[in-house]
Amino acid sequence: MDFDPEDINIPESLTYWGLTFGIALAASLVVAFLLAAALGGKKGIPRYFDHLGEGLRDTFGMSLRRVMAISSLTVKESIRKKTLLVFVVFAILFMFAGWFLSGANANKDLQLSVHVSFVLTSIAWMVFPVALLLSCWGIPEDIRLRSLHTVVTKPVKRSEIVVGRVIGFSLVGTFVVAVMSIVGYIWILRQIPPEIAKAELISRVPIYGHLSYLDRQGQPTNKGLNTGDINEFRGYIEGATKARAIWKFENLGESSLRLNPATQEKELLMENSMQSFRTHKGGIDDLVESSEEMEALLLHGQIVLENPEKNLRVSLPQFAIREFHQNLNWIPRKISSTDEETQETKTYDLIEDLIQDDGSLIVEFRCVDAGQYIGMARPDLFVRLPEKPFASSYFKSIFGLWMMTILVIVMGVTASTFVKGPVATLLLLSVFLMGTLFQHFMEDMLAGNLKRSGLFESGIRILTHGNPEVGKEGSIEESAAIKRIDQGFTGFLKLASNAVPNFNTFSFKAYTANGFDVPLRSAILPAVFSLLGFLLPCFLLGYFSLKLRELEAK
Amino acid sequence: MNNLDSRTRKLLYFGGIILLSIPIIYLGRPSAGMEQGSGGKLAQLRSEYDLGESTLGQVDPSSATMNLVLLGMRGVASSVLWNQANEEQENKNWASLRATTQSIIKLQPHFRKVWEFQGWNLAYNVSKEWDDVRDRYYWVKEGAKFLKDGVRQNENIPDLYWYTGFILGNKIGNSDEWKYFRKYFISDPDVKKWNGGPDSDLNPNRLDNYLVGQIWFYDANKVEALPGIEQHRMQQMLFRAYPSHAQFGYAQALYKEGQFNEQSREAWELAYELWTREFGREEHESPGGFIILESTPEDIKRLSERDGVSEETKRRWTNSYQDRCQYRFWRSLAALESEDLAREARRNIYDGKQFYRDQKFRESQRLLELGMEQFERLLLDYDSLKGEDQIIEDALMTILYWKSIHDVRDEEIPAEYPLKQFFDQHQSRMESVEPFFRREIEN
Repeated sequence: MDFDPEDINIPESLTYWGLTFGIALAASLVVAFLLAAALGGKKGIPRYFDHLGEGLRDTFGMSLRRVMAISSLTVKESIRKKTLLVFVVFAILFMFAGWFLSGANANKDLQLSVHVSFVLTSIAWMVFPVALLLSCWGIPEDIRLRSLHTVVTKPVKRSEIVVGRVIGFSLVGTFVVAVMSIVGYIWILRQIPPEIAKAELISRVPIYGHLSYLDRQGQPTNKGLNTGDINEFRGYIEGATKARAIWKFENLGESSLRLNPATQEKELLMENSMQSFRTHKGGIDDLVESSEEMEALLLHGQIVLENPEKNLRVSLPQFAIREFHQNLNWIPRKISSTDEETQETKTYDLIEDLIQDDGSLIVEFRCVDAGQYIGMARPDLFVRLPEKPFASSYFKSIFGLWMMTILVIVMGVTASTFVKGPVATLLLLSVFLMGTLFQHFMEDMLAGNLKRSGLFESGIRILTHGNPEVGKEGSIEESAAIKRIDQGFTGFLKLASNAVPNFNTFSFKAYTANGFDVPLRSAILPAVFSLLGFLLPCFLLGYFSLKLRELEAK
Repeated sequence: MNNLDSRTRKLLYFGGIILLSIPIIYLGRPSAGMEQGSGGKLAQLRSEYDLGESTLGQVDPSSATMNLVLLGMRGVASSVLWNQANEEQENKNWASLRATTQSIIKLQPHFRKVWEFQGWNLAYNVSKEWDDVRDRYYWVKEGAKFLKDGVRQNENIPDLYWYTGFILGNKIGNSDEWKYFRKYFISDPDVKKWNGGPDSDLNPNRLDNYLVGQIWFYDANKVEALPGIEQHRMQQMLFRAYPSHAQFGYAQALYKEGQFNEQSREAWELAYELWTREFGREEHESPGGFIILESTPEDIKRLSERDGVSEETKRRWTNSYQDRCQYRFWRSLAALESEDLAREARRNIYDGKQFYRDQKFRESQRLLELGMEQFERLLLDYDSLKGEDQIIEDALMTILYWKSIHDVRDEEIPAEYPLKQFFDQHQSRMESVEPFFRREIEN
């Protein structure tokens, strides 16, 4: 995998959400109060509190029956609008997809990822416009056709309209996602040849460790060497020096072992996907025949298991790094090792002797070949627990897509309560683009990772043809005043950026396509929290917008 | 219009549709097949300017559908895909890169540069990223197969034939891993799939890689010779020399592998034949009219009369073109290597080097000296070759081996020895030859 899954920190996330939401809510209440006082005069303030009270009553006094009635009407309306025609497009796409994908890659472990990515991407691309258009046009159309007038004159609360709409569209979205995902699943099973499917259609369940490095002098360093890759994901260690990559795995024990089909023993399975970098080509001038000899030409690494509590260091046999292939290391329960000093051979028990009492295991990795380098990132070495079926990972990815659909619907309905259909669509589309394509750019800019990217500063630089890489001392664009103004803007943007959800959170494609299970703490929970985090603010915004809206204004 | 009722309006629309369809149907009538000038105006224009998919090569139905479905968005879509391909390459995401290139060529099936760039990229840039020689070979093949696919869809682009031949000949025969690659070309490392034979997509007849490359170069020349078609790689004359160069490559590779037998003799003789009788006898266009590289005085006379230029001009341009393609060098080399003595000399030097590696220095020295002496004798008849890089480097390399034996055995280097003139004259080149010598003896 070329990304690093990080676990969510729940208390921190909740605090951040609470603070942001609290600040935004307080700010809105204060602004509304001031406006009411300023515009409504003496009557303004009591009306302000009336509205607040009514809001609370409408929120907590919603009738499930009425919400469901509106939902069911929404579903009927969506069907009448021929929403389900999206299935026709979907069917056509899948009828011809095989033409484009099959045979694109003969390498079997790579074939699956292409097919899985295709299915998940096309479902997302099909569902998104449906969710977007349905949710953004529903309420504005009701207002335009005056059908909403007949509803609001009945004892239906506006909160119920908002919630009913959301639930109704969500049901349609759910149906579309469900049908597409099942068809997609069957399609994948049919596209992958059965002999490959058995070995490749799995979800690997990894336990990742924490990675640290030692440099060539054996001193701790926070990252490995860069051997010239543009992508700095991996750090490299030099062979035959004291440079090491050290992983610390936690929560290991008896249950982490699995049956090795070769030895029929329970062993610890580790998988690595490290990369080689050569400063010289090695022995390729003489032909060798056997695959063992071929293997010997590759760069080699070695793992040393360490238990500082018992002052034990046990070396495992060296192994070849086959780049971009699955490399498996089975670590047996009983390991024989010769002590370097005493030359005494002893047998150690993996669980009893090498895994520490708190369940942690330290794995030290070195590159054997002098003058050569091996590169690794945190997810490049992991403990593999018994696999789950492919469906587990696939449907978790679908769950992610479903959550994205719901979020789009929630935001679409919210937007449609205060602007008309086309504007709501554009608004949501912009938010979506910001939350997908420009998410990294936005994060980088707000975190200050982009040099000289302040609004005014770069504006002046564009006008004066200045160079953002070098900068000019004493120039206007770099004056303290401009910097302060820009800081203010960036601060405001930081606050505003919270209104843009990171839609990439909902995509678990990278896991499923690479044959991994979708992890709970680093993928599913962040997505669930993202969705939940937007529900309440969107509801409040939608409800008050609809409530305070003049329905006659078409 | 508003005065008309709904039904009349609909009838009017319908009438309009029928009226507008008539010219469209008339202009767009499909061609009746091979017959020139059949079909509607559009079909005629298509065949006149070779714009129809089917005139460019075999039609890929999925590609045609894709372009139709995208309407005018093809440019945008292919730009996005190109970006994606770059990103995937940076992240070493090879599977996706391969799939993306496949999508790109669906969108731009007749864009020559796309095929050239991506085919080259796979065979050279992607292959070198893999550490296992077998994997590297797989990606070289992927590049060649990609280009082969390009040829299938663009039968009239000679450049694509040339690239395919170049990858099969030069990439496989001249990489650092050439020993492996050449072997794999005959028996693929993917034994499961190819049963120990070659990858039949590229080498169905189990031939040497240079000879398969040569077939592609011949095809390139054949297409290039068609009217109205040109290649964009290099000067036309140089382009047309490639089938002969492939033969030189083949003959040299046999020597590099230590084959000094009937096969290598034939290879060199054929190289001479192709160079002087085939390529040398072709007419090439020059600013001084057409020239023939291997021309007799009669040829010069005939051509100068035909083109209306003086014989002197003709000779000058013939000479100049001979320089450009090193015509005389290759001709002399092929003549020299075709001689039995040359083969003897090469064999002795090759064996001498082998003995050196096995640390049998006495035997090594004897053979090297014999080879050097034969080589020197041979060069008496080929004076022009003495100044050629390839010959000088071969001579210096042999002398380095020979001298190194003296060092090892702690012997004095005699004042006179064969090929000494090379050593004395080209001291400045030792700096560049020595690293190769070190590498050879260290491995």
